[in-house]
Amino acid sequence: MTDRLDRWADPPLLVLASLADEPKHGYAITQDVAQTMGVRLSAGTLYAVIARLEARGLIEPLESDDRRRPYRITAAGAEALAMQSERMSKVASVARERLSTRLGWSGA
Amino acid sequence: MTRPSLTRAALALYPPSWRARYGDEVRALLEDSGGGLAAVASVAWRALPAWFWPPRHLHDRPARMRASLGTALIFWSMLTGLGLVFAQLTQFQGFDVPGHPEIRWAYAVFDVTLAVSVLVAGFGGLPLWLLMLRRARRERRRRDTVYLLLPVIAPVTYLAVLVVTVRLVGGANGVSPWWFGVVTLAGFAAAATAAAGPGLALRRLQPRGPALRLAAAAGGVAAAAMAVAATAIVVAVIGLCLWAPSFAGYRHGTVPGIYLALVVAAAAVTTVSAARGARAARHAGA
Repeated sequence: MTDRLDRWADPPLLVLASLADEPKHGYAITQDVAQTMGVRLSAGTLYAVIARLEARGLIEPLESDDRRRPYRITAAGAEALAMQSERMSKVASVARERLSTRLGWSGA
Repeated sequence: MTRPSLTRAALALYPPSWRARYGDEVRALLEDSGGGLAAVASVAWRALPAWFWPPRHLHDRPARMRASLGTALIFWSMLTGLGLVFAQLTQFQGFDVPGHPEIRWAYAVFDVTLAVSVLVAGFGGLPLWLLMLRRARRERRRRDTVYLLLPVIAPVTYLAVLVVTVRLVGGANGVSPWWFGVVTLAGFAAAATAAAGPGLALRRLQPRGPALRLAAAAGGVAAAAMAVAATAIVVAVIGLCLWAPSFAGYRHGTVPGIYLALVVAAAAVTTVSAARGARAARHAGA
């Protein structure tokens, strides 16, 4: 049951969050997501997500002479990430508040 | 197999446009991460959704319409040929089953939908055909001119050979079953040749614009009509097998079974290809 509760770790959201501070290429995104969010993105998943986010205009590729092309979040991508973060933040805040009340009551 | 070969094999599973856009980046990522078999397998696994839901920004809609038209045309011709064989062996022989009007309805539906399909395909494809023919002649592209004239040359040649053959080998009751098989196979070869010509010209001349969109949209309608005709064939053949097995060798299910499998396969490929082309035409016009 708890496994099903990890939907917050939606790969598109993780990639958007990874690109929120600065542009990164594929390998840098996987490293960042693994280190900061504790989720390992496979190469297949990462590029499926990159293709989808690029098609929706949420990220864009930057010019590169290298095969390691960096991507940057667009204004639309930042807005979508902000909205989703706000929603998740509300859920987290309600969950924390209610758990604390319940734990406080249980402990009494 | 080495890891680079496995990576190449996994990437080969993707649509060409996807591979051209992301292939090098995926290779670089796998090199950097030292990804093992699991990483390569994840790349291979994701190829399937890339075919079913290709990213919109990678769509080359005119190329999609041209490819779909070429494929749909070949299989539409095969399906039309199979339909004519059906008509020759059942309807033209006057086969009917008293008490089962479904057979007559199936014949009528087949006639109407086949006629609609041929008319729509003809009128819808004519502007594109004329456009390509004018360009091939203007630019003195003789090979493309021949390709474009194949839909006229191949059937006329076939009919001429057919008339001569029937006169030479036909008796009072027509040709023998062996010769019927020969002329039928020759008919399919002629239909395939006729359909392949414009398909090759589409690949070489790469037309774009409203005429291509009209042809792709008409291809969708013509394929839908042929799918209904194919359904009518299936109903009629199954009906004849069930209710009139003594007619024309329908006692055994093998030949009708093979025939129906070919009809269903040709109808499926025609419908899927034409639908993809029509969809691209709709989005290109939007």
